[in-house]
Amino acid sequence: MNNAMRTMPAEAATVERYRGAVADSRFRRLWNANAPGYLFLLPWLLGFFGLTFGPALMSLYLSFTDFDMLRSPGWVGAANYVRIATADPKFASAMSVTLTYVMLAVPFKLAFALMVALALNRGIKGLPIYRAIFYLPSLLGASVAIAVLWRQLFAGDGLVNAALAQFGIQGPSWISHPNYSIYTLVALSVWQFGSPMIIFLAGLRQIPQDMYEAASLDGASKFRQFYKITLPLLTPVIFFNAVVQTIDAFKAFTPAFIISGGTGGPINSTLFYTLYLYQEAFGNFRMGYASALAWILVIIIAIFTAFSFLSSRYWVHYDD
Amino acid sequence: MTLRVSRRNFMAGGATLLSLSALGSSAFAQDTRLRLLWWGSQPRADRTNKVSELYKAKNPGTSITGEYLGWGDYWPRLATQVAGKNAPDVIQMDYRYIVEYARRGALAPLDSYMPSKLNLGDFDKAQIEGGSVDGHLYGVSLGANSAATMLSKTAFEEAGIDLPTKATTWEEFGKMAAELTKAGKRKGMFGMADGSGGEPLFENYLRQRGKALYTADAKIGFGVEEASEWFDMWNKFRESGACVPPDIQALDKNDIETNTLTLGKSAAGFAHSNQFVAYQQMNKDKLTLANHMRVTKDSKGGHYRKPSMFFSVSAQSKVVDQAVDYVNFFVTNPDAALALGVERGIPESAAMREVVAAKLDAVGKVPLEYVSGLGDLAGKLPPPPPAGAGEGELTLRNISEQVGFGQLTAADGAKQLVDELTRILARG
Repeated sequence: MNNAMRTMPAEAATVERYRGAVADSRFRRLWNANAPGYLFLLPWLLGFFGLTFGPALMSLYLSFTDFDMLRSPGWVGAANYVRIATADPKFASAMSVTLTYVMLAVPFKLAFALMVALALNRGIKGLPIYRAIFYLPSLLGASVAIAVLWRQLFAGDGLVNAALAQFGIQGPSWISHPNYSIYTLVALSVWQFGSPMIIFLAGLRQIPQDMYEAASLDGASKFRQFYKITLPLLTPVIFFNAVVQTIDAFKAFTPAFIISGGTGGPINSTLFYTLYLYQEAFGNFRMGYASALAWILVIIIAIFTAFSFLSSRYWVHYDD
Repeated sequence: MTLRVSRRNFMAGGATLLSLSALGSSAFAQDTRLRLLWWGSQPRADRTNKVSELYKAKNPGTSITGEYLGWGDYWPRLATQVAGKNAPDVIQMDYRYIVEYARRGALAPLDSYMPSKLNLGDFDKAQIEGGSVDGHLYGVSLGANSAATMLSKTAFEEAGIDLPTKATTWEEFGKMAAELTKAGKRKGMFGMADGSGGEPLFENYLRQRGKALYTADAKIGFGVEEASEWFDMWNKFRESGACVPPDIQALDKNDIETNTLTLGKSAAGFAHSNQFVAYQQMNKDKLTLANHMRVTKDSKGGHYRKPSMFFSVSAQSKVVDQAVDYVNFFVTNPDAALALGVERGIPESAAMREVVAAKLDAVGKVPLEYVSGLGDLAGKLPPPPPAGAGEGELTLRNISEQVGFGQLTAADGAKQLVDELTRILARG
């Protein structure tokens, strides 16, 4: 670079300067055109950098410290990460609970949402009302009230067991039995199928009707039509829903927190990763360690998402 | 049309915005502003706010904001506020956390205010020591209590079973509870809660056997043998139907509302004596208090008079003098004492105890008489729990559940408990 500058003839230098001026004025013109846009973005940008990005960077720093919230943080290098990898049985157990939850909740929720969307897509009367009703649980879903309601439903003498008793079945206390508690949380998540359902419904509306007409003229059964037309054309929407729901499932916190009373019990059967992280940070004053746990979660979610995008090449059909 | 914003305008605008936001945080009020934070339920809030009103009436120009949360949410909130340099001036503190907060410099030492500004002259001496860390006073005890067995008098009477006495042993009580279950007067009601995961109950059992939960030098104070016999005893209670099955016990979130006694699942539960008033409010049955059962006929010293909670003053407070004055008013003013009753425990000041005792109703008298009548069942106050004790409490609960659900034998559970507690204490 330095060499090039030295051997550069005078005219060339002028040209360079001219180019610089052009680039500069182009930048200025761009800025002038876009300034109002940035101005409107400002509240969001401030929020993003001040409330999301900044704290995230801070937590990355804290993850290399022994910060206990009361004293100032002391640098410990990678000790937190080493401990997670080698000497934390609770990390492994929380991870396995979370993975079980993700693996069950996401597919069941998507399948259920698709079923309801298909049913609603048949042009029934009062569709907006049904749509609103089915969407309702999603709005309430993450709320404390619903988790409390769930606790009542699945407790030993709750509504579910009252119904089972009609068939002579004496059910256990579902939410407080280590063999079943995780499934009540999966059920709670499946019940909140509203937002993927709305997206599926929009996706279904995009599929051209003439394809179905042509297929039925050719004598294709309803099932075959679904399998050969609906499903392939819906794959972009399925993909989108799967990625969003997976990330959401990894981050699930409120239901487990409320239903287990913050303990993750019985016997750590509902100790979601985020709940464990919360316990370490706020219960045991290990903010540094909890920050490291949080970054491990970020990496795991990133890996899952990257994997989804890579695999999408083989099963997602875009319209081109 | 394009909107043009010059860099100078932009900077000026930004600066204005910044200065505006700074305005919001600066204090304009001339009043002394005191912030209070405590855990507890609505009845406690009503009583506390009443004391604040009384204080304000005597000290015009003071404004007091009180905030309260449940036990579980309280500690994260407090830790966050302290970390954010936004701690309340007066902090309700627990015996479990006072060492942690004091050693980390979050609390103001109060020695220099005694006796003129903070008059604890007629306080129970042992209880003052309970609020001291490394020789300095960091917490003023708001009342004494002790671990206790809550009993539904009604349910025991229905089943025709006598209430336990001070001489009753665990073995005898197990038989009584199993009988009550068998009598089956109420559907789904068992004799007692499953207390195997309850730390105060376990500690009481250990102390009767001459051991402790934790030692003064932050070590574990018992061995595999005691823990194994403890889990074994509860296994027998479970088999005989004396206590609730584990999936019912797991509903207990360690508060009054979800205790198996309040849920109507058991005729006896385990709690603290100052909670009696609230328990009685939430239960239709007539309740009474008893001590924890004896391990053998002649074992003693399991109980102790515990400072139920403290008021501490934040080291970050800008109005420490005022905060100390408020705390002093809280524990030495007769009107305040009457407003508070025994809801936070028995008052520590002898004078206030007399004021309160004279006006107590029948329900309020039960915990008062219980704590003063413990006799040989009461022993010395143990040293404050070491850092990591909070995690230890969860560990005991977790392992007791594994034993309860049959995933671990009593012996294996005991070994695991000792191992894990040792590991937790080593980490601190």
